[in-house]
Amino acid sequence: MMKQIALYGKGGIGKSTTSTNISAALSGMGLDVLQIGCDPKRDSTRMLMHGRLIPTVMDQVRERGDKAITQEDVVFTGYGGVRCVEAGGPEPGVGCAGRGIIATFQVLERLGALHADVVVYDVLGDVVCGGFAMPMREGYAQEVYLVTSGELMSLYAANNICKAIRRLSGRSRGQCRLGGVICNAKNLPDEKQLVATFAERIGSTLIQFIPRDPVVQRAELNRMTVIEYLPGSDQAEAYRLLARNIIENRRLDIPEPLEIAELENLAYDFIAD
Amino acid sequence: MISSRTEGCTLTGALSVTTSVQDAITVIHGPDGCAHHNFSLLHALHFDNDQLNLPSILSSSLKEQEIIFGGEFALEETLSGAMGESPGAIFVLTSCVAAAIGDDVRAVCNEIRGCPVVVIPTGGFLGGGFSDGVRSALIALSELGKGGDPNGTVTLVGEKNLEYEAEANYREVQRLLGLLGVKVRLRFVRNIAVSEIAQLGSSSLNILREESLADVGDLLKDRFGTPYLPSFPLGFEGTLTFLSQVGDALNTGSDRAISMELERQKGIIDQFSELRGRAVNICHSDHMPAPFLSELLELFDLQVKERGQILTLPDPIPVGTSGLSRMLSRWQRVLHA
Ligand SMILES: Nc1ncnc2c1ncn2[C@@H]1O[C@H](COP(=O)(O)OP(=O)(O)O)[C@@H](O)[C@H]1O
Ligand SMILES: [Mg+2]
Repeated sequence: MMKQIALYGKGGIGKSTTSTNISAALSGMGLDVLQIGCDPKRDSTRMLMHGRLIPTVMDQVRERGDKAITQEDVVFTGYGGVRCVEAGGPEPGVGCAGRGIIATFQVLERLGALHADVVVYDVLGDVVCGGFAMPMREGYAQEVYLVTSGELMSLYAANNICKAIRRLSGRSRGQCRLGGVICNAKNLPDEKQLVATFAERIGSTLIQFIPRDPVVQRAELNRMTVIEYLPGSDQAEAYRLLARNIIENRRLDIPEPLEIAELENLAYDFIAD
Repeated sequence: MISSRTEGCTLTGALSVTTSVQDAITVIHGPDGCAHHNFSLLHALHFDNDQLNLPSILSSSLKEQEIIFGGEFALEETLSGAMGESPGAIFVLTSCVAAAIGDDVRAVCNEIRGCPVVVIPTGGFLGGGFSDGVRSALIALSELGKGGDPNGTVTLVGEKNLEYEAEANYREVQRLLGLLGVKVRLRFVRNIAVSEIAQLGSSSLNILREESLADVGDLLKDRFGTPYLPSFPLGFEGTLTFLSQVGDALNTGSDRAISMELERQKGIIDQFSELRGRAVNICHSDHMPAPFLSELLELFDLQVKERGQILTLPDPIPVGTSGLSRMLSRWQRVLHA
């Protein structure tokens, strides 16, 4: 059975880094993986493509018109056979990026490109409009994983995404659930405990703690995922554990978003301690 | 405000103004459908009013591509196409799609040289309904006015270009002003050339078509110092008041005009004396001014009964004495039938 997961979280928190390493780790488990970058920033799959920014679905539609596009124009094979797609979108400040995501799904659907053992959607920071909720809708990603550190702003974004999941989980066509919370650490004191408590409060669980490690930057400078660059490192092992936990995860929840005050108190308690 | 299915879209309202400037082109920054539906509607209405000229409307033809990547380039292209026709001016209206994606229409239009380009930020339904469109078009077009020393003339503001009786109403106002020896300098905006709009602000008095245009009247007053009357004349009494107000505003004296008009009104009331004392049931729209109806009931001693003869007050209500006369002859025909 095809498993479709989506990673959401604040901008710059590490969604793309985490997604590419999950995809790389899954391919190492012998699975057929498709990663779809749903962020106009279009750099989701770069490390899988050894630094190459692949042509985006939206660019191709603009150049050729959406009828003339084939799978070869938009699906590119990267490290470990992971197939990579970038939705793309407008330049910052013009047009409607959310509509771009919707149009991308229509194109991929028409091309029959949405099949794999695991599809990984790497989605932009906040669910700013209906377009960016697309991966959670219509039965695409059934499992959402929140990427957050212990910083308040990042927990705040994660909490907002819970609102979207909660709303969409009520729809008959969507079976979108929260699969768990990934702590991508910023090396704050008690960070793991804080994120775990947050996960529990929203009715979910901390699925993996990913340490902050300079090896990530080193791998990046070498245009590789950590899995490829230093497979024997602890960091690579953390990503493999995360990938395994996700594959084996059976726990899917409808989250209970926190009130702002609750969230602030939670963060405050940990700083005060 | 209660939403109404009769209110329509700002585009239609604004187009009713802009397409009445004969040497201008109106560009709708939106999908083709916005231009198509409005073109058809205007064409059909003009045809009904025996005007055979086709409205000059162009569409920037927004499609999904432009929605995603922004529609500013499509607008640029459409504007340069419009420039090729050497219009007197280009008026640019925005659809709801353009407003939703936030295209910077003014920035694109500011780049155009060689022909005035006026942006009317209608925003499709996001900007309100039909009458909001009319208002924003009049306000935007007023930028082309140059003002000048008040010269004793009158400017008509916001004639209803889509109403069947627009010309008849104009002739009635012209007739009444004629009794005072006053001339209409500018019809802002009906069947005029772009160059004529420059005269806006040089009349001594603006007369608004209806009270809902007060914003426009205020704005013109602020900008050019022109006082305004809030409405075309409505009702017998209202028509006499209109004469006296215009006379006061322009210092022409109005006694003679008023007594002449009063004689005419008496003649008309006599002519329709058959209506007197009838039991009637009058249908009218909700925004009909109450004094208009009570005046008619009183003058003809009409008895309002549920089972009375059904008569209709047109919307908009008739202008001046002549408008009333036309309406009364319709009523009489109904009673005879
Ligand atoms: N666990 C980590 N340790 C060290 N650096 C990290 C880690 N995760 C992410 N980063 C760094 O954070 C930056 C932003 O990550 P990215 O994956 O692009 O964020 P997002 O996709 O959420 O916008 C990257 O340049 C990456 O080097
Ligand atoms: Mg990213």
